[in-house]
This record gives sequence, structure tokens and C-alpha cells, in this order.
Amino acid sequence: MWADDSETKVLYVQTHGVAEPGRSATPFFLAASAAAMEFEVMIYFTMYGPTLLRKDVVDKIGPKGDQGQPLRYFIEQATDLGVRLLVCQPSLDLNDLRLEDLIDGVEMIGGAAFNNLAVSADAVISF
Amino acid sequence: MSEFPAAGADLVVDCTGLACPLPVVKTAQAIKTLAQGQVLELIATDPGVEPDMRAWTSRTGNDLLGIDKRADAFHILIRRMK
Repeated sequence: MWADDSETKVLYVQTHGVAEPGRSATPFFLAASAAAMEFEVMIYFTMYGPTLLRKDVVDKIGPKGDQGQPLRYFIEQATDLGVRLLVCQPSLDLNDLRLEDLIDGVEMIGGAAFNNLAVSADAVISF
Repeated sequence: MSEFPAAGADLVVDCTGLACPLPVVKTAQAIKTLAQGQVLELIATDPGVEPDMRAWTSRTGNDLLGIDKRADAFHILIRRMK
């Protein structure tokens, strides 16, 4: 799934969701920085992570709750630079979500694809 | 280090008051609008901008011409190399 073997590749893993807004934005910051460094970057949302991508959430909360910039701002900062967002079905089930409940552009993968991305990345950074 | 060429920059990116990662992100976007060999001046107040721009230029292959820490802000000159 990595597009270019010759690029430096970083995979972020976000396990925290809407219950902990203070943990929501940093993976997007770091992913945007990495993409600006011309790295190939993906963020995998598992456990409670997919709740951060809900259409009905991204405009309502940000890292400081309902104050300051909402999540959409940080998400788009990253995706505008080419960062790809990934989820898996069991994590959607855990949060009673369907892919249609999430913002556009989120890609569905599974455990084998995740592990393959991880072992072929130059760094895997988990939150 | 201080004397940048008076007309050294082809483009100024003012990130005064903006925090990480915006100076890096805006620099990465802006430098793509320059031709190879042209110079970008980044003005930033984020206290982490110096190590950030050293890392960014070394990774992207652009040339860090100088970092001038003035009273108001960091002024960073970068030449687009590729």
C-alpha cells in the first residue's frame, strides 16, 4: 500500500478517541510535519481512534474540547499534504460506526495490511 | 550572522504567531511556488523553528542559507534546490 518504496515512510497509530480530546490532534500535527518533509505518511485509527473521524464530530471538538480549532482543521492540514487515513472494520464495530459515518477519504484495511505497512515503514509511532 | 543580502528573498512567508507545525507546512507549500535557485524567507516566532527548519532542509534537500534570530522573530533564508 505504500506508493513508493524509495520514499521515507512513517506510520502513525491513533488509539484514542473523542473521550480524550487532548490526545486527538498531535498525530495529525506530526503527520503533517512528516508529509511536509516529503515522507510518505499514513495514520491508522484503531481501538477508539475511528471516533475522531466521525462526520458529526470533526467540526465540534478539537484538542481543547469545544474551544479553539476543531479537528477538521488539523485533519485537513494533514490530508492536504497527502497524509492517508486508515481504519479497520473491528474498530468500527467497537464504536458502532460504519465507514459512511466517517469523513470522506478514509480507507479500510485489515490486520494483515496493517502489519505489512508496519514492517515496511521506516518508523511506526503509536499514540 | 546577520547580513542577509538586502534583496535576498524572492518570497517572504510570515508565520509570526503560528505554532508548530504551521511554519514547516507553510514553508513546504510555499517553496513549491519558487523556481530552483530562488530564495524563501521564513519569519517565525515558534521557539522550535530553528531545529525544525534544520531538519526540514536536510531532509528535503533544500539549502538553509542562514538563521537570523532577531528581537521580533527568527528570519530564515532557504534556497530551493530541486
